[in-house]
Amino acid sequence: MSPFGFYSLTGAWLFLLIGPLVLFYFLKLRRPRVRVTSLALWRRVMADKRVNSPFQRFKRNILLLLQLLLLVLIVLAAMQPYLRGRASRIRRLPILVDCSASMAGLDKPGGVSRLAEAKRQVHERVDGMLPDQEICLISFSGRARKRCGFTDNKRALRAALEEMSVEDVPSSLDEALRIAQALALTAPFEEVLLITDGNLPEDVAVELPFDVEFHRLAPAGPNCGITALNAEKNREGSWDVFVQVDGSHDAPLGLRVLLSQDGQSIGDQDVTLVPGNGERLVFRVDGGESALLEVRLVPDGPDSLPADDVAWLRIPRSRPLAVYVDPGLAAFRHALAAMKGLVVYTDPPSESGASDVDLAILAEGSGEIIEAGLTVHVGGVPQALGKYVSVGSGGTEVVDWDRGCDALRHVELRDVVLIESPEFSDGAHEGDLEGEGYEVLVHGRRGPLMLWREHGGQAAINVLFDPARSTWPYRIGFPIFVANLVEIAMHEAGIAEIQAARTGVLPAVSMLPETSYSCHAPNGETSERTTDASGWLSGLPALQAGLYRLKGGAEDRAFGVSLLNLRETRLAAAEELRFDEHLSVEANETVVKAESSLWATFVLLALIVLLVEWWFYHRRAGG
Amino acid sequence: MAASTEQRQLTSLLSNATLSRVERLRIAMPRLFTDRRRGEHTSGRSGTSNEFSDFRNYVSGDDVRFVDWNIFARLNRPYIKLYMQEEEMNVAIFVDASTSMLFEGKFELACRLAAAFGVMGLFGGERVSVYGLNQAGRQPASLLNRTGRSSMASLFRFLESLDGGGDLPVEEGIESALKRHVGRGIAIIISDFLSFGDLRRAFNLLFSSGMVPCAIHVLGPSELDPELSGDSRLVDSETNENLDVTCSGDLVDLYHEYRQEHERTVSLLCRQRSGRFAALDSSTSVEDILFDMLRRGGWLR
Repeated sequence: MSPFGFYSLTGAWLFLLIGPLVLFYFLKLRRPRVRVTSLALWRRVMADKRVNSPFQRFKRNILLLLQLLLLVLIVLAAMQPYLRGRASRIRRLPILVDCSASMAGLDKPGGVSRLAEAKRQVHERVDGMLPDQEICLISFSGRARKRCGFTDNKRALRAALEEMSVEDVPSSLDEALRIAQALALTAPFEEVLLITDGNLPEDVAVELPFDVEFHRLAPAGPNCGITALNAEKNREGSWDVFVQVDGSHDAPLGLRVLLSQDGQSIGDQDVTLVPGNGERLVFRVDGGESALLEVRLVPDGPDSLPADDVAWLRIPRSRPLAVYVDPGLAAFRHALAAMKGLVVYTDPPSESGASDVDLAILAEGSGEIIEAGLTVHVGGVPQALGKYVSVGSGGTEVVDWDRGCDALRHVELRDVVLIESPEFSDGAHEGDLEGEGYEVLVHGRRGPLMLWREHGGQAAINVLFDPARSTWPYRIGFPIFVANLVEIAMHEAGIAEIQAARTGVLPAVSMLPETSYSCHAPNGETSERTTDASGWLSGLPALQAGLYRLKGGAEDRAFGVSLLNLRETRLAAAEELRFDEHLSVEANETVVKAESSLWATFVLLALIVLLVEWWFYHRRAGG
Repeated sequence: MAASTEQRQLTSLLSNATLSRVERLRIAMPRLFTDRRRGEHTSGRSGTSNEFSDFRNYVSGDDVRFVDWNIFARLNRPYIKLYMQEEEMNVAIFVDASTSMLFEGKFELACRLAAAFGVMGLFGGERVSVYGLNQAGRQPASLLNRTGRSSMASLFRFLESLDGGGDLPVEEGIESALKRHVGRGIAIIISDFLSFGDLRRAFNLLFSSGMVPCAIHVLGPSELDPELSGDSRLVDSETNENLDVTCSGDLVDLYHEYRQEHERTVSLLCRQRSGRFAALDSSTSVEDILFDMLRRGGWLR
């Protein structure tokens, strides 16, 4: 592909003016006659001039040549030449546009957002497309989306560009690059243009089959925001609400944090930010009924990103943890009896009247089915694993266990002796259990002793041996294990510690089973969803920070979703991106140009030629 | 009033005031070339003037009137008293009257200078000849061998009636004039020396004829600083030949170099033959030339 091109090739017709120019030159070349006293000196001067001039033939008609050069330059300028940039020599170009939360950052108060600037640059790129070029648009934030396949249709590309909007989620480049990889299989290309503010993870777990042009936009203005919000129940039964605020390096130092509960202001604090270090605040909120807390941040100075200035947290109604323990599991019952804040049932909920059980400790094979946040099956192999594991009687001991697991945190099992011996069947191995969705927590000499499984939003632990037939209940590790179970159950029930929901996907909500609900997003969009047979409503996208309302029947529930991302709030820009196979791409802040227009250069050259001609013929000797 | 003033002028070439000053000036000879005829210039030879030269022993046949009797009385030996020989000097004035001299008052200036030199020669007792070099193929107009202040009127008439215009190169004019000229002395050549020919031959002929060549190079302002721009066709005023030039600063610079080189060449031709050289701008007044430039240059005393 030629590095040069012309926008207006029809201007080449003006080259026909060369003919009249030459004609007029020779017609006009009736030199003015100047009568001089004698040519004696002039002849010698001219002879010397011709002898000493290497381009004497050229100089004889230098005026004509200068006029021809002037005409050629003017005609070339009229043809509007351009120099193809490296970008315009690319035939297919996927453009990845960052639409994450930080792209909403304004360069100054009342200025343009980073996404608007990115769109402007892509617009320029689309406008400068050559007829043989195709562009594909992919937007990405937490997820990636192909907005427009490879096309040279500028209208379609502009429409796709207009559809892009900021999503209040952290950015992740991986998925966008994988989409580009998939595109490369059908429509090969050599380079991908990434337009972003640089606020994205520096390490990208993608092997690049193409080059990446990392174009980083100019940074946004100062920003501060809420980066974390959670609450823990304290000993008094009230909630300690923890708020983390942070900001960019040039963020306003002074700000005010307001806390309201169901619309009523219940507290505020003034904070002085230290650049690079966040500030952690604690508010105390009374427990009791469920309430929606709103934390709002009011900075003293300009703030470029409003999405992180407010966060919501729903605190649940206060209640004790409901635990059901099989009557035959005395060791567990004794361990639980020493703990506070629990209600331990030994009768099934259907008999005891308990509406909800948070922790169910069941004897394997009892046949009881109890829905709980955490279920512990003790003393047997689950029916689904019967073909892989069986319980023998040879006795065994613990070989190893997962010390990082929440359930086994601080639990010592080394000196536990078991009379029963769960062991793998012939040919079975740990992979078979993983295939069934189980994870081995404790390994015995010949098989697994404890398993973990998560299914349908509920966690389950299977203890494959009977603790009563082991030395475990007499060890300190046992009550610690039971305490861990309670802690996990409290966490699952959300009555001890709660985290504010982040943007991306709404947390699963328990509603009426198989009921249709409409979800009203903060930006006004509405979508319809139906709960499953268990009443769970999950997978609702929440790409904008704000309050989402679920309406259906008589129910109307509000859920706050917040950005709560330190990287997005700090607006830190990556200097380079590191890919797999030790590839890295450095950021480039220069504006991506498809081509450089040269007509102004040619006009300038024509003016210079004109001035040189004038000077050459009118300069005074010695001047 | 103006007419009456003109009538009282002796000549239109020089004002009376200038003329009276010129009459008191004399041509300073760089080297003396004189004729045997008696004149007012003392030669190296012994002669009969009143100026004492030397003594020598009396020999038989010497005129006893030249015996110094005072010495004879003291020494009792006769000695002859010798005197300087005073001889006549010729002043030949060559006025270039070709067409090239008709530009920018060069010819008028040449005539005025010729008149001034002629007056100085006549008042100095020299034999003055004036030659007007104009038309090729014809004998130069001439005024030959004039002496004494009585010849001043004929000198002025000759110069006033001298016609300018012609194609005679100055070197050919000098050669032609020398065929008629007799006498040794000084040759004052007033010309622009813009000639295609070889000036060396003419100067050699002058020197071999006993004339000391003194050149006055007269150029007009347009020759000293030509104002040309763009494409031009130069036409020679004498030969009507053409030369196309595309004039630029470089070309004018080169012209200046050649003009100065030409002046140096003519100057060298004069100095090698004990002569003098002066380059003049035709726009300069004759008084400034005579009483300032030439006087300071040692031409006049």
